[in-house]
Amino acid sequence: MRTLDTEVLVIGSGAGGGITAARLADAGRQVTVVEEGPWVDADALEPFSLEEMATKYRHHGASLALGNPNIAYAEGRCVGGSTEVNSGLYHRLPDSLAADWETRYAIDEFTPAELGRYADRVEHDLGVSTLPGAPPPSSAMLERGATKLGWRNVEFARVFRYDAAGRGTKQTMSRTMLPRALAAGATIVADCRVERLLRDGNRVVGVRARRRHAGGAVERLTIGADQVFVCAGAVETPALLQRSGIRRNTGNGLKMHPTVKIAARFPHPIDHGDVPMHRITEFAPSLTIGGSASRRGHIAMALADTGLPFDDALADWENISVYYAAIRSEGSGRVLAVPGLASPVVTYKLTDGDLSRLARGIVHLGELLLAAGATELHPSILGGPVVRRLDELGAWWDAVTRSRANVMTVHLTSTVRMGEDRRRTGADSFGRVWGYRNLRVNDASLLPDAPGVNPQAAIMAIAARNCDEFLAW
Amino acid sequence: MLWFEREVVAALVGSDDPRVRSAVEEFVDGSVRDKPEHLRLGLAGESILLGAYAAALRSVGRLDGDGALRALLQSWETGPIGVVRQYVRAMRSLVTFAENELASPPSKAA
Repeated sequence: MRTLDTEVLVIGSGAGGGITAARLADAGRQVTVVEEGPWVDADALEPFSLEEMATKYRHHGASLALGNPNIAYAEGRCVGGSTEVNSGLYHRLPDSLAADWETRYAIDEFTPAELGRYADRVEHDLGVSTLPGAPPPSSAMLERGATKLGWRNVEFARVFRYDAAGRGTKQTMSRTMLPRALAAGATIVADCRVERLLRDGNRVVGVRARRRHAGGAVERLTIGADQVFVCAGAVETPALLQRSGIRRNTGNGLKMHPTVKIAARFPHPIDHGDVPMHRITEFAPSLTIGGSASRRGHIAMALADTGLPFDDALADWENISVYYAAIRSEGSGRVLAVPGLASPVVTYKLTDGDLSRLARGIVHLGELLLAAGATELHPSILGGPVVRRLDELGAWWDAVTRSRANVMTVHLTSTVRMGEDRRRTGADSFGRVWGYRNLRVNDASLLPDAPGVNPQAAIMAIAARNCDEFLAW
Repeated sequence: MLWFEREVVAALVGSDDPRVRSAVEEFVDGSVRDKPEHLRLGLAGESILLGAYAAALRSVGRLDGDGALRALLQSWETGPIGVVRQYVRAMRSLVTFAENELASPPSKAA
């Protein structure tokens, strides 16, 4: 078994891990990043394609939270984590939510002003901007429908930089923070899964890991570390802590944005190369409406959700795009590492109120799409019905049931919540795991709740803030 | 994949092109193998039970012909038993996504 040593070990390389690695390496710390997934050239695979699903997503993008109903979810598993596979949408944590969390979870130095300062720095470092020109048709449809209905809508900024010709490049961790960490002397070890943390009293002294080499050979590693940051995401972070015997307030309280979808058919072609940037904020933060990846495969899957014949619609797939309604859920879930299993069991319990909100969401989404000019709506509800007129939408109110709704999510948070209230949190206000001097969590797990918007901006700002506190400690 | 899972994939793929059929099967196989162990176990258990049921139907001549398994899957997918419905939907989702991605030409829209 090979042994490595480092001053700071960062486990995971996504939004939390990438920021952590760059900031600590910039400060002169000797940093090693281990990432379970492969290092894939950011330009090598088409976004949201079959190849990308197989290469960059955990479980080929087909993970599942068990419950009634089950909820499908997807997360990245590659160098750069989910920043490599998401749509790049960027939305700061709403001030009202930051203030609420500060009070409810007794989080120190968590004022909107404080977080805003870190968000400014993240945005400067990464490049966050809106489109330099007109939005693509799929996004313009959202704007048009909202305008007709008098609903608030906004073009969300994205973690994108644009060249003089208006071509955008998503500023993923593998394009930004990780190269910066490498330039500052950090080491990145890909294809390396950390099995457990090695503890000595109230200190973590390192980790035991397995690294897969090209050709399939597996190398066992022990990595000694003075400081350990776990940034493996809201599912894998609590699972690793549990496998290592750290169970207090880890894994319970999982939050997400349950999401239902509609495949909307228009009388004209719709673009399929990008994810719409417009979001309907009329009902935010409890309900957000937006657009999804809409390659032919996604459209076919969305059409199939009704269980009704869809050959006619699929033949017209170039005129179809997929849109979603996502809610803030009052339900919660759990991540549980089971001895002998590599993957944790994830469960989530939607409440009856959540189902009502999802029904309201899909009806509002239908209203919007019809107002935007859609001629046919295929909901993610088994049995449909497919809707073509406003007065038919009422049928969906009673159709969103536990046995008929197809629910998914891409945002998972809150499995090691931060704050000074030890009864409800797994880590202190800056991510230090209770009871351990040198073990920190610095990813989506820390968020006390799902924010109602894409969480990556909040994850990055909080990660940067926690790094500064660590460096000042 | 287990034998019945291969049969299900073969029944659900619409294309006659052997390259497409092979590529879809490869993607579904990779996806099924990549599932968390507890989900894989559940899927395998259902495959064995449902496969045994299908074999029993076949042995008494009630599952003959090219479209028979596809029709059976269709009835399971809209049937009253949740876990059976979800089994078919899970397999169909993988097949549908893979087949349509493989068939996808460049978009006409700008």
